[in-house]
Amino acid sequence: MASEDLDRVAASRNTLVDPSRRRLLAGLLTAYTASLIPWALAQPAPHADRGAFTALSAILVGRQVLDTALANRIYDALVAANPHFPTDVQALLTLINERHIDPQQLQGVLDGEHSPLAPLPRQILGAWALGVVGSGKDARCVAYETALDAVIVADVLKPPTFAYGVYGSWSAKPNAEE
Amino acid sequence: MPAPLSADIVVIGAGIVGALAARRLARQGASVLILEAGPRLERARIVAAFRNSPIKGNWMAPYPPSPWAPHPIYVPEDNGYLKQAGPYPYPAEYIRAVGGTTWHWAAQAWRLVPNDVRIKSLYGVGVDWPMTYEELDPWYQEAEELLGVAGADDTGSPRQHPFPMEPVAEPWAMRRVRERLAPTYAVVANTVARNSRGYDGRPACVGNNSCQPICPVNAQYLGINAVEAAEAAGAKVVPNAVVFRIEHDAKGRIAAVHYYAPDKSEHRVTGTTFILAANGIESPKLLLLSASDKYPNGLANSSGAVGRHLMDHPSTSLTFYADEEIWLGRGPQSPSSINTLRDGAFRSQHAPYRLDFTNISQVLNVTNDLIKEGVYGTEFAKQLRWRAARQINVKNVLEVLPNPDNRITLSSEKDAMGIPKPEAHYSIGDYTRRAAEVSKADFAKIAELMGGTGLRYSAEGNFANNQHITGTMSMGNDPASSVVDAFGRTHDHENLFVCSTGVMPTAATMNSTLTAVALALRTAEHILPAKKAASVNASSDHKASLA
Repeated sequence: MASEDLDRVAASRNTLVDPSRRRLLAGLLTAYTASLIPWALAQPAPHADRGAFTALSAILVGRQVLDTALANRIYDALVAANPHFPTDVQALLTLINERHIDPQQLQGVLDGEHSPLAPLPRQILGAWALGVVGSGKDARCVAYETALDAVIVADVLKPPTFAYGVYGSWSAKPNAEE
Repeated sequence: MPAPLSADIVVIGAGIVGALAARRLARQGASVLILEAGPRLERARIVAAFRNSPIKGNWMAPYPPSPWAPHPIYVPEDNGYLKQAGPYPYPAEYIRAVGGTTWHWAAQAWRLVPNDVRIKSLYGVGVDWPMTYEELDPWYQEAEELLGVAGADDTGSPRQHPFPMEPVAEPWAMRRVRERLAPTYAVVANTVARNSRGYDGRPACVGNNSCQPICPVNAQYLGINAVEAAEAAGAKVVPNAVVFRIEHDAKGRIAAVHYYAPDKSEHRVTGTTFILAANGIESPKLLLLSASDKYPNGLANSSGAVGRHLMDHPSTSLTFYADEEIWLGRGPQSPSSINTLRDGAFRSQHAPYRLDFTNISQVLNVTNDLIKEGVYGTEFAKQLRWRAARQINVKNVLEVLPNPDNRITLSSEKDAMGIPKPEAHYSIGDYTRRAAEVSKADFAKIAELMGGTGLRYSAEGNFANNQHITGTMSMGNDPASSVVDAFGRTHDHENLFVCSTGVMPTAATMNSTLTAVALALRTAEHILPAKKAASVNASSDHKASLA
């Protein structure tokens, strides 16, 4: 994708981004993947590995804006658990770039091809969605109320242990946004 | 060397049941010492431990066992404390700590229904209790006033006096379930030790939806409230005191108990009257551990019934999507149920049951499902909201009949203190399995009435456990077939009483805590009658006179 096109996509949504950082992230993408995450293009990417992680995360969780501090925490935890993680992320991003894989088809494609990258999307989505990195005895909590499963329903529910509201407020019809 | 410990009343176990017996006796003037194997816990630390836990679906995670007083843990892996002899697994969960297992409970404070205590006479199954429901009623009332119980009148359990509190405000989801199931099913508010207004210095519920593993705001009555009430009444609590032997004298009276401190130093505690209140697994374990030349099968065990007749409440369930947004997770976790199947002539054929609707937030389960299914991209958030808004779960709470082969024994394996671990022998009988089969029709009807789609029944033959440990020290009038009498006194030892869900001779269909508390208050009255206490307290030395 031409860099001026990326600039235009990003600029239409956020004009306050450091252009050099934006180009770094944009350089990791093709027109196809950039179309999945136009907002994410506007996010700062301090270096290529983290940039690739941010881009892949945005594609997998289907969100355009990701919490940078949490992204760093998740990235560091996943790298600590698996030194090959940065390479794997680059490889999966490249695969999606080259083959224009729809996120909805991704797991099926990886499983069908017995790809060594097959566990990766679940690890990344699990980290963002549950705030948990790793599994079994090695599982670690990196987020709770800022994990996406809490954020996505925050207009209706509070995460367990947080007070919903004054006594009886839960009797009203939930005021969910569609 | 610390002074030897001694008291009029020595209570083993600082859970809700033992502590409320202790409180009552202390208020009547007795000196009371409570020995607890586990440590003291802090509510705020439990809340933090939950929030920081990577396994939020496991409510034991914020309660790691202490090395000297282990309790069963199964996730992320089995710690091997409660040994399983089969044939069916019995993965009981409980907490060894000051306050006990009700640190995490749904505060379900149910009474029996009257016929629960007469199932042998009425239906030819199980056993009768050595008392009537009417005899229990005032003790239930006293228990309900201590715990602060909120409830509705239409649950099948009659009462002489009103509940201390109005039912807790109904969550929107439960209102919709109630409205859509009527008139086929009557969905009513659960009877709970949860405040629907300020009560006894504790606030009304604010809907944290974490009743299990921990109520952060003290709106739900916990064992720790009972312990603090006992302490306020003058009882002394010794935490980290792992009782490993009960000592009797030549006449068979209990003379002392022996405990290990965490450094394995041994301590002997003497007393006049002893109350065993260390739950339905640890208590029979201790009786069996205390075998002697005079009592080779363990204390209180001339009947051979100690540890036997282990019961709980197995559950099967149905999960589905309603055809409207109801959003479970607003308000307390377990607010409503169907109570019309708790009794009936069918009890001669199959178990009765309650049908219980969860109001636990479905977000965690739904998120796990989506990750498992590999749902990525914008579809993830969309699906998460759709499913979390509509997912409903209903489960049955099935009665189990007393079966002597279902039992707790001593394992050949020992814990870190060198004390044998408990071993569970368990099976689920046909009486219970038939009811699970019958209840499937209820599940299907409920789903139909809610416009249900995506019906997921729990796996065939799989029963979830509810941690309502009962039967292992059953009460009865016949010393040949029961462990304690109708007042909780062991048939074999004049000054040894048991206060526990373990004394319940049948399990019925409701959570067992309130019944155990009611029985414990009755036991306390039997040990030291209030009238007698009043006259003793009026005397100059306030010395307790023990019955």
